Amino acid sequence: MQGDIKGTSWGVFKAILPIIIIVLALQFTLLGLPSAVIWRFLVGAVFIAAGLILFLLGVKISIIPMGEEIGSELPQIGRLGIILFWTFLLGFTATLAEPPVHVLASMIEEASEGNISRVLLVCLTALGIGLFVKLAVLRIVLQVPLVYLFALGYTAILVLSFFTPSQFVAISFDASGVTTGPVTVPVILSLGVGMTSVLGGKSTTAESFGLIGLASIGPILAVMLMGVILG
Amino acid sequence: MSETAYFFQELFRVFLNSTQTLAPVFLFFILFQMLYLKMPREHIYNVLKGLVISLAGLTLFLFGVEYGFLPAGKKMGIALGSLSYRWAMIPLGLLLGFVSTLAEPAVRVLGYEVDKATSGLIKEKLVLYSLSLGVAIAVSLSLARVIYGFPIEYLLIPGYLVVLLSLKFASPNFISIAFDAGGVATGPMITTFVVSVAIGAAEAIPGRDPVIDGFGLIALVAMMPIIIVMLVGLLFER
Repeated sequence: MQGDIKGTSWGVFKAILPIIIIVLALQFTLLGLPSAVIWRFLVGAVFIAAGLILFLLGVKISIIPMGEEIGSELPQIGRLGIILFWTFLLGFTATLAEPPVHVLASMIEEASEGNISRVLLVCLTALGIGLFVKLAVLRIVLQVPLVYLFALGYTAILVLSFFTPSQFVAISFDASGVTTGPVTVPVILSLGVGMTSVLGGKSTTAESFGLIGLASIGPILAVMLMGVILG
Repeated sequence: MSETAYFFQELFRVFLNSTQTLAPVFLFFILFQMLYLKMPREHIYNVLKGLVISLAGLTLFLFGVEYGFLPAGKKMGIALGSLSYRWAMIPLGLLLGFVSTLAEPAVRVLGYEVDKATSGLIKEKLVLYSLSLGVAIAVSLSLARVIYGFPIEYLLIPGYLVVLLSLKFASPNFISIAFDAGGVATGPMITTFVVSVAIGAAEAIPGRDPVIDGFGLIALVAMMPIIIVMLVGLLFER
């Protein structure tokens, strides 16, 4: 526990420090922004560091063990339909809890002057993850090779990108990039490992990884479809 | 409104948001616990403790982002976009991308995984530096895109075609790791700070639309590691 706190704090500190140094160096050479902006930036950095440390610790104490318990229990609860229902719900709710998803969605809402709503974007992203985690579990059960699904998924994305309004293309890929964070990754990974060990025959590297990659196709497709409909 | 009043009002608003954000996972857990898990009491106590800590952390993090990082990033972007030598953003993007990826804990975990999967043939350091270089290129390309305004599709479509092509040649181990890798490089620093710099710059440069030109950075940062890990895999499996 003590070691955890130390390791996490050091990791967070190292992640934030380079940005602070670069910003301060730019401020004194090129930029000369009002000092109030820089003060807020520094205060913000302290809050971000403290927040990340606490959040990551909390995730380690509760969300990861929770994901593992659920991941190993889920395959044993009965009919495939029920398993898939809970899988969807888990993917959906874990994405809602992902901090960067909300940051990106509010940046998009602000930049588009309210045209692209924050709530809609977050819900679609979570829906995309939920559906594709479900698909990923179905793949493990039916033993479909991962490569087929990657090839199919990304071909669909490439084709759809020709019909999607330009602004939504960028946003859809961004939305997918931010969903793979400190909450969803451990939850989905532990779900995958639990599932393959109980359901699938062989549990190799190739089988238990790839779930996240597959899941992140979901939000791209969901947000692109939103773009096709709205645009 | 005074600065202090604003500070606390914002903090409270962010706290309410974070509570709403964590509530669904929490409810999921309670429901699943009652129906299937039936864990012992002390286990539940631990989970609840962790959730309260997560909630406090999430509140502080999101508050720091909204109060400090986003406005500062945007102002920086506007200032950089109004410089007469805007091209300075391109090397700056390289620098930002490189150092922030080196510092990303998840990237090290990935390097370790690849090292393990290839039984030491591909060293952790190699993965770390090639990923950091990939992200550096991705960030500076996106800032170049903000300056010159070419469509994101010009980068994404060839990029993902390369990915689809290498699917045919790479081994299954590398394919799985590569796609998972797409997620690790997009850490909280890049997604909050660097994106807001790009949006600010797109606002300052005439003829650019913050929505069309400002976003897309995370997309490129997420694509680069997929390409790099697959290529590294191809090179080493000859």
